[in-house]
Amino acid sequence: MANLLFYLMATLATVCAIGVVVARSPVVSVVSLLGSFASLAIIYLLAGYQFLAAVQILVYGGAVMVLFLFTIMLLNLGDPAVIHGESEPLFHHSRRTLLGLGVAAAVGAAGLIAILRVAWSAMPQPAELPEGGLDPLDQLAASMFTHYSLAFEAASVLLLATAVGVLVLAKRNRRPTAEVFPRESQQPATPSSPPTSTPSAGAQGQEVAEEGVLS
Amino acid sequence: MSVPTEYLLGLAAILFGIGIAGFLTRRNLIVVLMSIELMLNAANLSLVAGARMHSTQRLLDGAGPDLQGPVLAIFVIAVAAVEAAVGLALIIALYRRKQTVSLESVSELRD
Repeated sequence: MANLLFYLMATLATVCAIGVVVARSPVVSVVSLLGSFASLAIIYLLAGYQFLAAVQILVYGGAVMVLFLFTIMLLNLGDPAVIHGESEPLFHHSRRTLLGLGVAAAVGAAGLIAILRVAWSAMPQPAELPEGGLDPLDQLAASMFTHYSLAFEAASVLLLATAVGVLVLAKRNRRPTAEVFPRESQQPATPSSPPTSTPSAGAQGQEVAEEGVLS
Repeated sequence: MSVPTEYLLGLAAILFGIGIAGFLTRRNLIVVLMSIELMLNAANLSLVAGARMHSTQRLLDGAGPDLQGPVLAIFVIAVAAVEAAVGLALIIALYRRKQTVSLESVSELRD
């Protein structure tokens, strides 16, 4: 029964992953991605990793999905054929597409061949699950707060830095020139420049150079 | 579930290949980010498969289950959430500048 469910979920995860790649509308891609995440969570659950399945649903199915959907709705990025009345080709640059598909097939085939070449009969075969699953929460927490405490702290610092960085990136600049990074914050960072030289001319030259690059 | 380990790893390889295909072929930046999430999920699945195999041996020896795999998978999930947040903020900033999310529009560094 559990094996049958695994095969069902593996098929569903693969189909949904293909749907993410080939869907024309980003909203369909997001929903397919959600299906893939949910099937993987059920596979984790079947394999005995209950807490990991819960984290997968909470973080991926909840937070990351909301982020993606919110961005798509905020930027109004639905099906381009519906919104703009034009249907662009899904894959541009056929040579690059072929190259990408070839690389993907090569990596997938290399992984499958490497898996098939291992003598799996010598490995321990999965047996009955213990009572609390394979990731009992007390042992997991004890291990994470003692043995992996440095990685835990690094992850918390990473989350804080991300929160600050995302605020800086997504903050709307109120000046008419739609600059992501305000230029005032960069000018005091060069104290070595002589104060008598006109900084406005230098900034203008920089601006012209950047516009030349951007246009 | 008595599915052998190689089936889990094979599913992970297939999902990773699909993720690479989307990452290399699609031009929509949001779909590219989703393909990266797919690849991270495939990596998590292979971590789970390995941890399950080692846990089986350790349980036969009378020790507790192997915890390195699930701990690393949880850290990978945290980093994936961070990556999605930063990537989407970058996409919003790019959309504000250029009113598009196509990868074709950010090729200034190529020339």
